[in-house]
Amino acid sequence: MSGYWAGIMAILCFNIVVAYSVFLPAASGQLNLGAAGFVAIGAYTSGYISTDLGAPMLVAILLGALVTGFVAFVISFPILRTRGVYMVLATFAFAEVVQGVFINLEIFGAAAGYPVAAFADLDVIVPLTIGVVVFVFFLMTTRLGLSMRAVHDDEPVAALFGVHARFTQVTAFTLGGVVAGIGGAIWAHNFNYVEIQNFNILLSIFVLLYVLIGGTQTAFGPLVGAVFFTLMPEALRVSEEWRFVFFGILIILMMVVRPEGLVTRTMLDRIKGLFFRRRPAPTADA
Amino acid sequence: MPDSILSFQNVSKNFSGLRVIDEVTFDVERGSRTALIGPNGAGKTTVFNLISGVYPIDQGQVLLDGGDISTLPVRERINKGISRSFQNIRLMPHLSAVENVMLGQHSRARSVGDLLFPLGWLPRNRWAKQAEEALAQAGLGTYPGEVVANLPYGVQKRIEVVRAMISEPKVLMLDEPAAGLNEKETEDLRLLLEQVSKRGVTLLVVEHDMQFVRRLCDQVVVLNFGKKIFEGLASAVQEDQAVREAYLGTEDVGDAA
Amino acid sequence: MLIVQQLISGLMIGGIYVMVAVAFTLTIGMLNFLNFTIPALFMLAGMTAWGMTTVGVHWAIALLGGVAIATVASLIVERFTYRYMRVRYGDATEHALPLVSSLGFLIVFEHLVLITLGSEIQRFPNPFSSADFHIGNLIIGIPQLVSLVLALLIVWGLSTMLKRSRVGRALRSIAENPDASTLMGVNVNYIVPVVFIITGLMAGIAGMLFTLNYAAVNAYMGDEVAAKAIAGMVIGGLGNIWGAIAGGLIVGVTEVLAIHFFGADIVKIPIWGLLLILLIIRPSGLFGHTAIGKGKF
Repeated sequence: MSGYWAGIMAILCFNIVVAYSVFLPAASGQLNLGAAGFVAIGAYTSGYISTDLGAPMLVAILLGALVTGFVAFVISFPILRTRGVYMVLATFAFAEVVQGVFINLEIFGAAAGYPVAAFADLDVIVPLTIGVVVFVFFLMTTRLGLSMRAVHDDEPVAALFGVHARFTQVTAFTLGGVVAGIGGAIWAHNFNYVEIQNFNILLSIFVLLYVLIGGTQTAFGPLVGAVFFTLMPEALRVSEEWRFVFFGILIILMMVVRPEGLVTRTMLDRIKGLFFRRRPAPTADA
Repeated sequence: MPDSILSFQNVSKNFSGLRVIDEVTFDVERGSRTALIGPNGAGKTTVFNLISGVYPIDQGQVLLDGGDISTLPVRERINKGISRSFQNIRLMPHLSAVENVMLGQHSRARSVGDLLFPLGWLPRNRWAKQAEEALAQAGLGTYPGEVVANLPYGVQKRIEVVRAMISEPKVLMLDEPAAGLNEKETEDLRLLLEQVSKRGVTLLVVEHDMQFVRRLCDQVVVLNFGKKIFEGLASAVQEDQAVREAYLGTEDVGDAA
Repeated sequence: MLIVQQLISGLMIGGIYVMVAVAFTLTIGMLNFLNFTIPALFMLAGMTAWGMTTVGVHWAIALLGGVAIATVASLIVERFTYRYMRVRYGDATEHALPLVSSLGFLIVFEHLVLITLGSEIQRFPNPFSSADFHIGNLIIGIPQLVSLVLALLIVWGLSTMLKRSRVGRALRSIAENPDASTLMGVNVNYIVPVVFIITGLMAGIAGMLFTLNYAAVNAYMGDEVAAKAIAGMVIGGLGNIWGAIAGGLIVGVTEVLAIHFFGADIVKIPIWGLLLILLIIRPSGLFGHTAIGKGKF
C-alpha cells in the first residue's frame, strides 16, 4: 500500500474506533460531546507508558485503554445524573477540563506536545480496529446490547421489565471510554506525537456528527459514518474548508430529512432479506 | 377473599394536591380473571402505575403474594411476578417483534453468561426460540424479525401482550389490551388470555369493551373518581346501583352489545 | 487598587458575556433547544462588519449591517432546524436533533467565513476604542462602560417585553405548553421565529460591542465567548434571564481575577471544572431555572 493510502487507512482506523466510542453511549441514549477528552487521555497515557516507562507498545495501548475506561467509569456516575442537554454540556465541560489539565502538565510536554517513540504501523492498527468493530457487533447482539437499546428507546418501560438502567448506562459509557482510549493510543503511536490542541471541541463535534450521520440504530452506522467522513476529502477535491461546509450542510439536511441516520434497522433488514431467505415461521398463521 | 394474590390496601395518591386515588382497597383472587373498570379518568391506569412502581404510593400498601412491594424499586417488581402491558403502545420502536419479546425475558436472565450470550449470532438459542414460539402461539408468527414501528396497530398491541406474558408472571396486568382491535383480533386475544389463565396466571385487566370483559372475566372491581365503588362477581356488577349511576350518560354497563 | 481595577475590567467583559448568555438561555428556556449557532452569529456580526469596512463602508453602518446579517442568519437557522423538529418516538436522543443541526450550522458559518475572509485577526477601524476616564487611580474605558450599560439595558428591555407584551406572553405560553398554546390561537409558526430574531439581535449586538471594545475580529472570536456565555447560562440557571445576567458578570469577573492570580493557561480548569460540578450537583444553577420548555411540537 502506497504511503499516501497507508496514511488514509490509519486515519480511517482512528475515525472508526473513535466513532464506536461515541456510538456505545449514543446507542443507550447518551449524547457524548466530550469524545476528545477521552481520546486525549488514551493518547497521553499509552504514549507515556510506552515511551517513558518503556513498556512494549501493545501493553501500553492496552493499559492506556484501561486507564481511559477507568476514568470514564468514575466520571460516569456523576455525569449520568444529568439528562438531555445537561448531559451534553457536562460531557463538553469534562473534555474542556481534560484539555485544560493536559495543556499545563509539563510531564506531557504541556503545550509543546509529547513525542512518542514506538511506531504502530497498519499491521497493528488494522487488527486493533477490526477487534473493536467485532467487539461492538458482538456486544450489540447480546442481552446487554438489547438492554442498551431498550434504555435508549424507553427507559421507564425497560425498567419495568427488569433492566437496570443505571448499570446499563454506566457500562455503555465505560466501554465507550475504553474504546476511545484505544483510539487515542492509535493516534499516539501512529503519528508519534501528541498535541493537546488536536483533541479539541471540533474533534468531539465531528465525531458525534458523523456517528449520527451513519446512524445509531445498528452497529453498521458508525462504520458507514466514519468511512464517509474519512473518504469525503478524497471524493471532494476541494479545500478543507469547503469540505467542512459541505459536511455541515449535510448534517443539517440529514436532521431534516433522515434524522435516524443513513443506516437504519429497517434498511438493514431489507438488505439482509435480499441475501438470506427468511426462515419459515414455526407455525404458518396470520 | 379466599386466596388473595394481589392486595391493594387503603392506597391513596395525590398529584399536585389533587387526590387521584382515594383510600382504595381491593383484592385480586389467585387464579382469577379480574377486570378493573370505571369511567374515563377514574384512576385505573394510575392503579397500574402504583402497582408497578412507576408512581410512589402516598399512603397504603401493595402486597403481592403476601410480600409487601410498596417500596420496591421498579426494576425488581417483575422478579416478584408482576408484569404488564400499556394503554398506549410502549414497544421499543426500533427493535423487532422477537427482540421486544426477548426484552420481556430479561428478568429471567440470571447469569453473566445470559447477559453476554450473542443472541443474534446463534439464532437457534433458547431465548429466541421461546420468543418466536410465544409469538406464533399468539398468531403473530409471520412477524418475528420485522421492526415493530412498521407493523400495524393491532399487531403491535398483541406483541405487547406476548412481551408481558413471556416472563411467566404470577399476575398479568393488561391496560386496555383490546382497544383498537377488530372483532377477530379481539376474539383471538380473548382465547389467548383464557389459555394463559388456565396455566394459573392471574389476570387483572383494564378494559372499556364490556363484551370482552363479560366473556373473559369472573371478578370485577369498579373505580369512579379515584374511589372504589364495587368489588365482586362479574355477574353481579350490572345490578349494582352505584355502578349504574357512575356510568349513566356514558356507557351503560348492562348494555347488550 | 489593582483588584478593583480587575473587577471593573471583569464587569466590562462580563457585559458582553451577558448578552450571549441571555441569547442561549432564552432559546433553551423557550424552546428547549441548546443553540450552538449563537457563537457563530456573534462572529458573523463582527466579521461581516469588518468585511464591509474593507470595501469602504463607514464603520457605524458596517456594524449595524453586521447585526442585520446575524439576525438573518438566525432566521435561516430557524427555518432548517427548529421548524422540522417533530417528536416521533420520544426516545432519549431525539431532543437533540435541533442541537445537532445547530452544530452543523456552526461548522458551515465558521468555515464560510474562513473561506471568504481568511483566518487572520483583523483590525477594525474605530475612532474611540481607547477613550477612557479616570476615577482616582481607576481607569474605566468608555466603550466598555457603554457596552456594559447597553447590554444591561437591552436585557432589561427584553425581560420587560417578555412580561408585558402580547408577544412575550405568547412566547411564555409556548414554553409552558406548546399544544395548549396552539389550541388557544397562538400561531406557533409566527411566534417561534421571534425567539430566533431576538437571538440573532442579541448575539449580533454582542458581536458589535465586542468589535467596538477590542477593535479586532477573527473567525474564531465566537468560540471563546461561547464557552464563557454557556458557563454564565448554567450558573444563572437554564432559562433564567436575570440569572444569565448575573452569571455572565460572574464569569467575566472570575475570568479576569483567575488570569490575574493564576495565569491565563490554567484558567480553563477551574472554570470548566466548576461548571461540570454545578451541572452535576445543582443543574438549576444559582438562581434556579424557569420551566424549560416542554417544546414538543
